[in-house]
Amino acid sequence: MKSKWIALAILAVFALTLVGCGGAKQEDVIKIGHAVALTGDSSMWGIAEKNALEMEIAKINAAGGVLGKKLQLIAYDTRADATEAVNVTKRLVSQDKVAAIIGPGQSGVAIAMSSVTEPGKVPMIGTTPTNPKVTVDDKTNQVRKYSFRTCFIDPFQGTVAAQFATKELKAKTAAVVYDVGSDYSSWLGKYFIEEFTKQGGTIANNEAFRSGELDFRAILGKVKQANPDVIFIPTMQKEAALVMKQARDLGITAKFLGGDGWGSPDLITLGGSAVEGSYFVNLASLDDPDIQKWIADYKAKYNQEPVLPNPVMAVDGLLAVVDAIKKANSADPVKIAEQLEKTKDLPVLTGKLTIDPKTHNPLNKPAVMQEVKGGKFVFKSKVVTQ
Amino acid sequence: MFIQTLVTGLAIGGIYALMAVGYSLVFSVLNFSNFAYGSIIMLGAYAGYYILTQMGQPLFVAVLAAIIGSAILAYANEKIAYSSLRRRNASSLYFMISAMGTAIFLENLVYATIGSRFYAFPEVLTRQNLNVLGTSLGILDAFAIVFSSVAIYGLHWFLQNSKMGIAIRAASYDMQVSQINGVNINRLIGLVFLLAGALAGISGVFLGMKYMVYPTMGWITNKAYIAAVIGGLGSLPGAVVGGLLLGVLETFVSAYISSAIRDVFSFSLLVVLLLVMPSGLFGKYLEEKV
Repeated sequence: MKSKWIALAILAVFALTLVGCGGAKQEDVIKIGHAVALTGDSSMWGIAEKNALEMEIAKINAAGGVLGKKLQLIAYDTRADATEAVNVTKRLVSQDKVAAIIGPGQSGVAIAMSSVTEPGKVPMIGTTPTNPKVTVDDKTNQVRKYSFRTCFIDPFQGTVAAQFATKELKAKTAAVVYDVGSDYSSWLGKYFIEEFTKQGGTIANNEAFRSGELDFRAILGKVKQANPDVIFIPTMQKEAALVMKQARDLGITAKFLGGDGWGSPDLITLGGSAVEGSYFVNLASLDDPDIQKWIADYKAKYNQEPVLPNPVMAVDGLLAVVDAIKKANSADPVKIAEQLEKTKDLPVLTGKLTIDPKTHNPLNKPAVMQEVKGGKFVFKSKVVTQ
Repeated sequence: MFIQTLVTGLAIGGIYALMAVGYSLVFSVLNFSNFAYGSIIMLGAYAGYYILTQMGQPLFVAVLAAIIGSAILAYANEKIAYSSLRRRNASSLYFMISAMGTAIFLENLVYATIGSRFYAFPEVLTRQNLNVLGTSLGILDAFAIVFSSVAIYGLHWFLQNSKMGIAIRAASYDMQVSQINGVNINRLIGLVFLLAGALAGISGVFLGMKYMVYPTMGWITNKAYIAAVIGGLGSLPGAVVGGLLLGVLETFVSAYISSAIRDVFSFSLLVVLLLVMPSGLFGKYLEEKV
């Protein structure tokens, strides 16, 4: 009697599973994956990215979708952690079978994810991973076929920062304080040093710290002795704010300079008066006249300002994917990647997007120089790559 | 530069010591690593920050609120996560797993409710410096060192002289025998957690003021665990010495060798020390206990 019930129960479970499978099968949507940090230190950008993508997808779907199908966003949390990101990417590629993946925002994470997207043949469009190795394999010097990005790369960013230091700030000596545990930070520091010395400057200190560091006073003591004109801090906003605060506490008077990792309002709330008068290179600016309408829409929908630059970079990526789907007349990831490579003068949020087929980097991407003034990021100048 | 490094190291070590004492206190009685301690510190920091900035109360009130809040939380932590394990005589491994679960739960609770943003305390105390022997010592650091010493000394006095303190020390030698002699173990353990929680509240506010407030800030207690092991697990003077030693050593390694390999040094020190002195610098009675 008992075994009969068990058999029935097993049958019922099987039946339910079959029904479940049938129900989940939706042919009329195109799935867009989003691998992003939704928790952890980088989540403020990740959440803004997800918000922006949801807003844009709702808009596209309201206008009839793409190829008559609705877009569906599948966002998973990477926690900005390489292992976690590889896991969710596997899920996006093999289980969800997405057409393309938007994200991630971190270089190290993107490089790890490409170990899944390359053999899986699904295009990945990074939002802010600025390291060159994200799209070009440094061992073979070949472009990664399925890796793209909508942001500029670190050699350019380092060059912009170093030239700004020598030309605008008239710096002769510089110190670099970087995170040895981050590809982004250590390579950006390296590119800055290359250009700064090329411009005739001297590097007084090149100090490394480990990710997660909170107290920088030991290394700043050394920097203070060398007394450089400018300190370049190619890190995220948290470390940058702490370094600047502790440097000012120790009586260091040098000017501070940073990269796009600083571009969060947290830099000001955390750094307080210490970050006043510092400069950094950014991918986008809230003052940019081209994105004012978009910012107003975002504010109206989420009741807060977007944390730039990630959300606009994500929307650029989505628009590139949508364009590629239309041109390929198919949601097949391989065909989308082929079309993405040919993207030329596509109108996106930050201007016109052209992908360089040799490197999969955007061409003519402007960099924005921003200054922290009166507790706000103030637009200083715009530089375009050639 | 040498004296400046030493002063900076002592200031960092002071905070390690404060955290290590609270951690060691729980270890000395219950004999397990309370990994939830970092999360209690984190919540203490949030409480202090909220009282100071959102409610506009003075620093003194914020510190007091953080102390009381963290003490209650630590007490609740014990009642919810550990007391039922204790009743079933579970091995310390289960306590540790329960502690880890609590830590992850609390951290994610903060992510889900408050969010992942970083918060900084107002710059009232932080931007002023004292001049000590030609080096600059932040007024906050000086304050932290004095306050930590007072709190640690107060705890020491309590343990040495009060009836409850003597009971705690007795229980740390042998819980069962002290129970037979009429000590109410449940009340005693509750008190231990209240005391450790109070220390966590102080550490949280100082950490928050010195650096910033964010959900994963509790992981800095890893350093407190190392400090406690160096000093001898369960020994309160050991925790203080271990904390100061670790802070100074780390700062010197950062300043004279490289900040990037600082943790390699601290953990190597730990390994070497454990090889030479398996019970740490002051951990005599742990051997007796075995």
